[in-house]
Amino acid sequence: MTSALYVLSENLESLICKNIKALPSIEYPVQQFQKVYQSNQSPVIHYENIMTFVHIRRDSLIFLAVVDRLDSFLMEILTYLDQFYELLKSYLDVKTLNRRLLLDNCTLVMELIDESLDYGVIQVTDSGIMRDYIRIKVNVPELSTNGEGNSDNIEVCSCSSSSSESESGNEPGKPKQKKKHKHKHKHRHKHDTKKKTVQDTKKDIEDLTKNVVGTLSSDPLTLIDKNRKKKSKNDIEDMIEEEDANNFMNSDIAKTTIMAVSWRTKGIHYAKNEFFLDVIEKVEYLMDFTSNVIRKNSIHGEIVCKSFLSGMPTLKVSINKILDQDKQFLTNCKFHQCVPTEDIEKAKEIEFIPPDGPFVLCKYDLKRHVRDEPMVKLTSFEIKPKFKKFKLKMYITIETHFKTTNSTSQLNLKIPIKHILHDYTIDLSKNIKFKCDEGRILFNVSDDFLLWEIDSMKGGHGENKLSMGVEFALFNKAEYAREQEELKNSMNPPPLRQGPKLEELYRQVHEHDPEGHTNDLIMAPAPPPVIDQPVTKLEDKDRLLKLSFEIPYLTASGLKIEYLKIEEPQLEYQSFPWVRYKIVSDPEYTYLIY
Amino acid sequence: MSDQRVFSRYKASEIRADLQNVELKKAKMNTLRRKAALKKIIANLTLGNYAEMIQLFPDILKFWKVEDDMEVKRICHEYTRTIGSIKPRSTVESMPNIMEDLKSHDEDLQIMALETLVNIPFTKFTEEAFNFIIGLVNRRSTSSRLLKTAIYSLLQLDDWDHERVMSLSNILYEIVEQHLESPSVQIAALKTLYTLHDKNKKLEPFSLSVDIAYNLLDIIPELNEWDTSSLLECLVVTVVPTTHSDAYEMINIALSQLQHVNTSVSLNALKFILYLINYVDEIDVSITERLSNSVVALLEKPSELQFLILRNIILLLLTREKPIIQVDVSYFFIEFNDPIYIKDTKLECLYLLANESTLPRILEELEQYSTDIDIQMSRKAVRAIGNLAVKLGDIAADNCVDTLLHLAEFGVDYVVQEIISVFKNILRKYPNRYRKELILFTKYMDCIQEPESKNAMIWIVSNYSEILHNYAELFDIFIADITDEPPEVQFSILNASVKLFVKSPSPHIENICMTLFKTFTEEVNNPDLRGRAFMYWKLLSMAKERPNLLNEDMLKDIVDGELPVIELNSKLDPVILEELELNIGSITSIYLKPTVQIFRQNKIKSLPQSPVLNANKNSLIITHSKQVVSDPIKRDSNHTSSSSLKDVPSTKGSRISTMGDYDRPAQKVNELKGKRKSSSDSPVKNLTRKPSLLIRKLSLKRNK
Repeated sequence: MTSALYVLSENLESLICKNIKALPSIEYPVQQFQKVYQSNQSPVIHYENIMTFVHIRRDSLIFLAVVDRLDSFLMEILTYLDQFYELLKSYLDVKTLNRRLLLDNCTLVMELIDESLDYGVIQVTDSGIMRDYIRIKVNVPELSTNGEGNSDNIEVCSCSSSSSESESGNEPGKPKQKKKHKHKHKHRHKHDTKKKTVQDTKKDIEDLTKNVVGTLSSDPLTLIDKNRKKKSKNDIEDMIEEEDANNFMNSDIAKTTIMAVSWRTKGIHYAKNEFFLDVIEKVEYLMDFTSNVIRKNSIHGEIVCKSFLSGMPTLKVSINKILDQDKQFLTNCKFHQCVPTEDIEKAKEIEFIPPDGPFVLCKYDLKRHVRDEPMVKLTSFEIKPKFKKFKLKMYITIETHFKTTNSTSQLNLKIPIKHILHDYTIDLSKNIKFKCDEGRILFNVSDDFLLWEIDSMKGGHGENKLSMGVEFALFNKAEYAREQEELKNSMNPPPLRQGPKLEELYRQVHEHDPEGHTNDLIMAPAPPPVIDQPVTKLEDKDRLLKLSFEIPYLTASGLKIEYLKIEEPQLEYQSFPWVRYKIVSDPEYTYLIY
Repeated sequence: MSDQRVFSRYKASEIRADLQNVELKKAKMNTLRRKAALKKIIANLTLGNYAEMIQLFPDILKFWKVEDDMEVKRICHEYTRTIGSIKPRSTVESMPNIMEDLKSHDEDLQIMALETLVNIPFTKFTEEAFNFIIGLVNRRSTSSRLLKTAIYSLLQLDDWDHERVMSLSNILYEIVEQHLESPSVQIAALKTLYTLHDKNKKLEPFSLSVDIAYNLLDIIPELNEWDTSSLLECLVVTVVPTTHSDAYEMINIALSQLQHVNTSVSLNALKFILYLINYVDEIDVSITERLSNSVVALLEKPSELQFLILRNIILLLLTREKPIIQVDVSYFFIEFNDPIYIKDTKLECLYLLANESTLPRILEELEQYSTDIDIQMSRKAVRAIGNLAVKLGDIAADNCVDTLLHLAEFGVDYVVQEIISVFKNILRKYPNRYRKELILFTKYMDCIQEPESKNAMIWIVSNYSEILHNYAELFDIFIADITDEPPEVQFSILNASVKLFVKSPSPHIENICMTLFKTFTEEVNNPDLRGRAFMYWKLLSMAKERPNLLNEDMLKDIVDGELPVIELNSKLDPVILEELELNIGSITSIYLKPTVQIFRQNKIKSLPQSPVLNANKNSLIITHSKQVVSDPIKRDSNHTSSSSLKDVPSTKGSRISTMGDYDRPAQKVNELKGKRKSSSDSPVKNLTRKPSLLIRKLSLKRNK
C-alpha cells in the first residue's frame, strides 16, 4: 500500500508531499527517486528491495507513490494516480495542470489526498462526491489577482460567512465554504450556453489586465475599486444566492460514501429536470498510404451524460447494440459503477441511478473491419515535380463515406510538407499557388505544414469528392544567377515585391532551429545558395497527414439509443431527456504519406 | 495573500509576526491573515523547513484552542502529524487538544483527531488511539464512517504495537463473518485482516469459508469501485472452493466485474477468475473469450496502465501450455508514439506469441522496426528476430534468416553488427544449416566495431574455418591492433586463435598464436588474460613435447570441444509461475520473479489445497458450450477410466513433485533485453499431455 505520495515537478523537485504511513523521513524516498529516475522509464521502479516507486507522468508533473510492500496490487495504485490526476483537474477546473497551480492550491491538494486515501487504502476518487466533502476555495491564477483588491474580497467573504453561520446551527462543524468565486458561478452555466462562458472569460481577462494596470499605478486599491464597484453590486447579489446554494449541505451527504448508492447523494433538487446523453465516437484510422496497408481502423466510443435530475431517479436506457446482442459491443464495453453489470447480457435495457452532474456512462472500443471505409478517405496524394518548368505540384483528393443526409461540421487536413521542403529546393520567394474545390488553404511557416480547412462536406459513398492542388516553385539556379547578374549591372532598383516575404519569414522561424534548416531553402537575397542538403532529422510525425473532423448526428458503429426513460417514483416530475450523437476524429486519424 | 509568497521558505519569527500582528483590526481580516499564515506553515513543511516550523508549536496550540474553523483545524492536525512523524516527543503538548477534538460530536473532527493520534509513533498517542478504537468497536451504534477509519487505522497501528492490534482481530472477524455493519465497513475489516495476515510471517494465511465469501460477493452491488477492487483482491487464495460448482458460481459473479470501467476492478476480477479456474475441470469457451476481450479492452488505457497490463499478459501467456487468453498478435504491434517501456514489453509479447502460424506477420512487423529511426529499437527488433529463429523450429528459422539477410543488405552499421551477434546464436542452434549464408557475412567485416559483434564474428570465423577459405585473412583483421581491444575481445581472439591452431596447425596461425601469447603475457596488464595465455601456452607446448600425456585428440577436445546446442526457453518453474499467477498486478508480475527474490520478508502465495484443485494446469479443458451436456465420448472415457481409480493418488501433498515434465531449470524470460543467457543444458522436451493424467482428472470428477 502507498506509504507516501508526492507530486513532483518536471525537474523532480517535490511540490506536494504527503506522508501517509508516518515514514521517519519524507525526503528520503524522493531523494532516492531522483537518483533512479530517467525520463521515459517504466512506471514501476523497484528500489533496492526497500520500496517501489510507482509513478505516472501527466502534463509537466510526475505523480509518485512510494509503495512499501511488494504484493500490493500495483494496478490499484496506478489507477489511483491516474484518477487522482483527473480529480485534481476537475477540481481546479483546468485542462492541464502545472506547477504554479498546485503550489497555489497546496492545502486543497493535501486535503484531496487525505480524503481519497485512508492509510494507503483508496476510498473515493469521484470528483462529484469529493466536492461535497472538501470545499476549499480553488485558487486559479486569473482569480488570484483578486487578492490585490482586498476590499472586494472581504465584502464577498462577509456575506458568505454570515450565511454559513446561519446554517451552522443545523450541522455544526461541517466544512464551511468561506468564499465562493464567480468562477464557480460560471461553471454552473457552462452547460447551457457556451458562448456566455467565452464572453465571461473575455471579461475576466479584461478585468485581469485592468488589475495589472491598477497594480502598476501608484494607488492600486482605488483604481481597482472603481472598476469593481460597477460589477460588484449585481455580482454580489448573485453570489449570495450562489453561496447559499453551496453552503447548504445536506446532512445525508456525509454518509454518501458508505451508502449503497455511493455515487449519488440524497436531496438533490433542480428546478428543471434535464438529462443529457451524448454518444461520442472517436474514430481512429491509420493507413500507410505508400504501401496501401491499413494499420488501424477502430472506434473509441463514449456515452457521456450530464444529469440534472432531482431526487433519486431511475433511468432506463435501451441501446440497440444490447438488444441485438452485438457480441463485440457486449464484450468490449465498460460501464460506470452506477450500472449493475450482472445481467447486461440478458437484459434488454440498462437500468441505473445516475450520479449527479457529468459522468461517463459507458466506454467501448470496437474494431472495424479493414474493408470498412473510413469516414473521410484520402483517395489520392501525388507529388509531381516538373524539373523542366521548375515547378512542383501536389494534388490531394478526399471523399466521404457516410450517410448522405449528414455532413461534417468541421473538417481540416493537416498536410506536412517538411519532406518536400527537405527533398526539393523550394524557392519560397515565389508565391505558392493554391487551388481547392472548397474551403481554404493555409501555410504554416513555423511548423511546415499546409492546413486545408473545409468546414462542411456532405456525406456520400465515394461519389462526393473534393480535391486541392498546390504548386511550389522550385529553385531555378540559372534564373537566379541571371537575376543577380542583372541586378549587379543595371541601374534600376530591384523590382518591388508584393505580399509576404515567405522566404524571410521561414528563415527567421527556422533560425533558432538546432538542426539548422536554414540551408534547406534558397532565399532570394540570401548568401550564395548552398545546394548540398544538410542532415535534418525528419520525424515520424512529419510523415503523417492528419485529418480532423466532426460529424454530428451520426455514429460510426451504428449505435442507437432506442429509448431513455426517467423515473422518479416519489417526485414524479416532468423531465427532459436529450440525446445526441457525434463522430469525432481521433488524434490518430492519419495517413502515412511519403 | 498572494500565493507566490505562500510557497517560499520563511523564518519562524516572520510567520509568528503574521499570526499575531493583526489581532487589533477587524475580526474578519484576522481569520484571513491567520489562515494565510497557517498555509505558509504547511507550505514550509512541504519544503522541509522543519527546524524553523517546530518553533511555532506554541502558537499553533494557541489557535487550536480558540478557532473552530474546520480549515484551521485541518491545518493544525496536518502540522502535528508532520512534526509528529519526525519528532514524536515534541508534540506531546498537543495531546489535550487532540483529545478534545476526539471527544467532540463532529464526525469529521473525530476522524481527523484519530488520524493524528495514529500517525504519531509515540506510545502515549498510540495508547489513546487504542482506547478510542476499542470503545468504538464495542459500541454498536457508531457511525460507519468513523468505524471504517478506525478499522483502517489498525493497519498503521500494527507498525507501532502488533500485539494489541492482534487482540482486536477477533472483532474484525466478527464483522466480516456476521454481516453486522454496513458493506463498506465489512470490506474495511476484510482488507485490514487480509493485510495484517499478509504482512506478518508468523500468522497463518488468512482464510474465509465459502459461505462468507458468497455473502461478501453478494454485497458487490452496494460497494463503491475501490471497495469492490479490494474485495476481489482479498478473496484470492483466502477462499478455497470445495466443489466445482462453487468455483463456477464465483467465476460467474466475478465475470460481470470484468466490465467495470475502473481498471483496478477489472484486473482484480481477472485475477480472481484465473485463481478460481484452478479449481474447475473445464470451462466454457465463452468465458475464455470474455477474459481475452477484457484484456484487449484494458489495452486502451493510458500508457502507464497499459504497461502493467502488458506485463501481466506476458504472465498469462507463460503460465499455461495453452494460454487461457487468446489475443491477436496485432494488438502488440508497436506504435511509433509508444513510450520505450511499452515498446520493449510489446516486443516481448510478440516474441512469446510467435508460433508457426503467426510468424509471417510478426516477422514483417519486426522487419519494419529494424529499420526504425530509433537505433535502440531497431537493435532490439533484430535481436528478437534472431531469438525467434532459435526458439522456433528450423522452418521458421529459415524465414528469420532470410529476413536477417535482407536487412543486412541495407548495410546500416548497427543493424549489421546486431545481425552478426544474433547469427552466432542461430549457428549454435543449427550448426550445419546455414553454411552458405554465413559466407555472406564476411563482406561486412568493415562494419564490425562493437565488442559483442566482434566476438560473434571471431567465433564464427574460428568455428567455420573449413568453409571460409580466407579465414586467415579475416583473422588478421582482428589482431591488427590487439592491445587496444577491450578485454572480452582479447579473450575471444586468444581462444579463437588457439582453436584455429588446433584445428589446422599452419605456420601462419602458429605465428599468430605465438605473438598473441607474447603480447598477452608481457604487454597486457590484465592478470586474467595473462593467466589464460599462459595456460594455453603450456597446454600447446605440453601437447608438442609429451604427446603421450596429451595427444592431439585430447587437446582438440579441450580447446574445441563440442558445444551444447542452445535453447531459448521461455518456461518458468511451475511453482514460481503459480505464485506469479496469484500475484497478478503486483510488482512480481513486472519482474517475473518470485516474491522471495524481491522482498525477503514476504509470504509466498500458493494455491490452497482443495479436493477440486487441478493437479495439472494444462489439464483444463476448454469446452464449447453446447457440447458440454451431451458428449458421449467423454462419458465413455469416464466410464473406462473407473478401473484405474485406485491408483489415483490423493491430490494433497506434493503434487508438483509427481510431475515428470517440469524438472527443467527455471530460466530468465526477458531474453530480449540486455545480454542473452541462452545456453541451457537440456533440450526442450515437448510437454505432451499425459493421457494418464487426463484419465485421472476425469475419474476424479466422476468420483465426486
